[in-house]
Amino acid sequence: MVSPDLGVSLGPLKLKNPVIAASGTFGYGLEFLPFFDLSQLGGLVVKGLSLKPRVGNPPVRIVETPAGMLNAIGLQNVGVDAFIAEKLSALSGYDTVIFANVFGETEGEYAQVCRKLDQAPGLGAIELNVSCPNTEAGGMIFGNDPRALGRVTRACRRATRLPLLVKLSPNVTDIRETARVAEAEGADALSLVNTFVGMAVDVDRRRPVLANVSGGLSGPAIRPLAVWMTWQASRAVKIPVVGMGGILTARDALEFILAGASAVQVGTANFIHPDACVRVVRGLEQYLAQHGPSSIRSLVGALEAGGGKGS
Amino acid sequence: MPEDFTAPVVSNLDLGHGNFLLELAAGDAAADATPGQFFMVGLPHADVLLRRPFSVCGLPGTFERSGAGGIQILYKVVGAGTELLATLKEGAPLHVLGPLGKGFSLPETPGVRPVFVAGGIGSAPFPALAHALGGLGIVPRMLYGARSGADLPLLDWFRARCAEVVVTTDDGSLGRKGFVTDPLADLLASDPRDLFLYACGPEPMLRAVARLALARGVPCELSLEAHMACGFGVCLGCVVPTRSGETGDGGYERVCVEGPVMRAERLAW
Repeated sequence: MVSPDLGVSLGPLKLKNPVIAASGTFGYGLEFLPFFDLSQLGGLVVKGLSLKPRVGNPPVRIVETPAGMLNAIGLQNVGVDAFIAEKLSALSGYDTVIFANVFGETEGEYAQVCRKLDQAPGLGAIELNVSCPNTEAGGMIFGNDPRALGRVTRACRRATRLPLLVKLSPNVTDIRETARVAEAEGADALSLVNTFVGMAVDVDRRRPVLANVSGGLSGPAIRPLAVWMTWQASRAVKIPVVGMGGILTARDALEFILAGASAVQVGTANFIHPDACVRVVRGLEQYLAQHGPSSIRSLVGALEAGGGKGS
Repeated sequence: MPEDFTAPVVSNLDLGHGNFLLELAAGDAAADATPGQFFMVGLPHADVLLRRPFSVCGLPGTFERSGAGGIQILYKVVGAGTELLATLKEGAPLHVLGPLGKGFSLPETPGVRPVFVAGGIGSAPFPALAHALGGLGIVPRMLYGARSGADLPLLDWFRARCAEVVVTTDDGSLGRKGFVTDPLADLLASDPRDLFLYACGPEPMLRAVARLALARGVPCELSLEAHMACGFGVCLGCVVPTRSGETGDGGYERVCVEGPVMRAERLAW
């Protein structure tokens, strides 16, 4: 039997399979070396990088909620220079696409981080984080205002030749609007969704559970919302869409792919099972072997919407 | 090196007052673990998404009736996760990741006098440590505080294996009325020579123990607890403020990787 073809393209980028580990859930990749060979992944997105290192928010930073979790890490990271010097070279031996997730406090900072990464050896692509809900400067201000999103995308597009993804915020009225802006300003692909803003209250202490008060909701709780936004966005633009939101299994991933995603990211599941991404890859292979088609690409956006109104 | 494996429940002993001693068949991982390390335990239930961190209470040899490859976890029912855990029967499969983190250091010089300072269920990591110290011919002392006499799990076990167990309770229902830091302050004032403190309990207690130890220049290791999603260093949820910033990440370090045991002087409390 011929093994199923899991290869996909995101604009100029070729992935051996459509499973990418999501930013903020996969460290700098190296933390997963005790658990599996990173070459099994289609790609991995490292923790969001800024011009200077950031210490992040005070604890409590996370709490489990029904079918999900809230986090307010606050974009703690080593900074782009330390990433290039200390982390990226250690990833170079693996046959997978390394994505750098990038954020800044200003358009200029976003572009400066992109310029530093542009020549970094071994880096495959840049994902702009315009959608972190947990810091004032963390990008959501860019992601929620189509004009600001257009400016920051344009500035980064000029700063790098690397394939550029824009990671959209779900905390908007109409995801199609920001999707179209990112496409118009030169994004090669979109990734969506980042976390939904949420809050949990400690009833005994009568305080917010998180020190930051609000946090970003992830996990299976958001999956139907994220599938819907993937469906909407993928029909609004011509560039490929990478879907994510609560994917634990291959069947979850297939929901996004059938709804229009060319690839998927696996996030919160990495915390529960360090090899969650590999399980999804294996599950996709099995699904194709059992049900067809021979190539995963034939399933992208292939759902039959019947008489539904769609978007 | 942590392993991700399925461990069946061997026993789940109700110690009374909401405290349980769980034994898991951990196989090779039991031999790799050291006192003060922890395991992430996943519950076979859809309502609990994330695994929960539990420090190792007993390793092979700690408790007399433990089976080969058996590890013990001491827990108190405090929320949805531990409520489910308390219902599990022999044979139930748990998804376990570990051993994880940095455990306690053992004395390198002779003559060191270890003292356990425990607050309630914070006594959890000390049986395995007492056993390891026993292997070096060292018998620890223990200061064991809790809200009331009902909140001192394994008290008889500690009394049989420590040179002395000083009990304090907030309500005076057992031992001396007051906080565990009261007898600690007395000990540090009267005879601090060669003492080495190991402390585990609620954060306010740990802060008070750290302050006392640092004021007297007595070495002190704290076993910390924190909300965490992963247990292996990627969620960055479990951080504490530290002075060292050895990770290069700045002012916070991860309880799961740089801890859960940290020296008192390292914490920026």
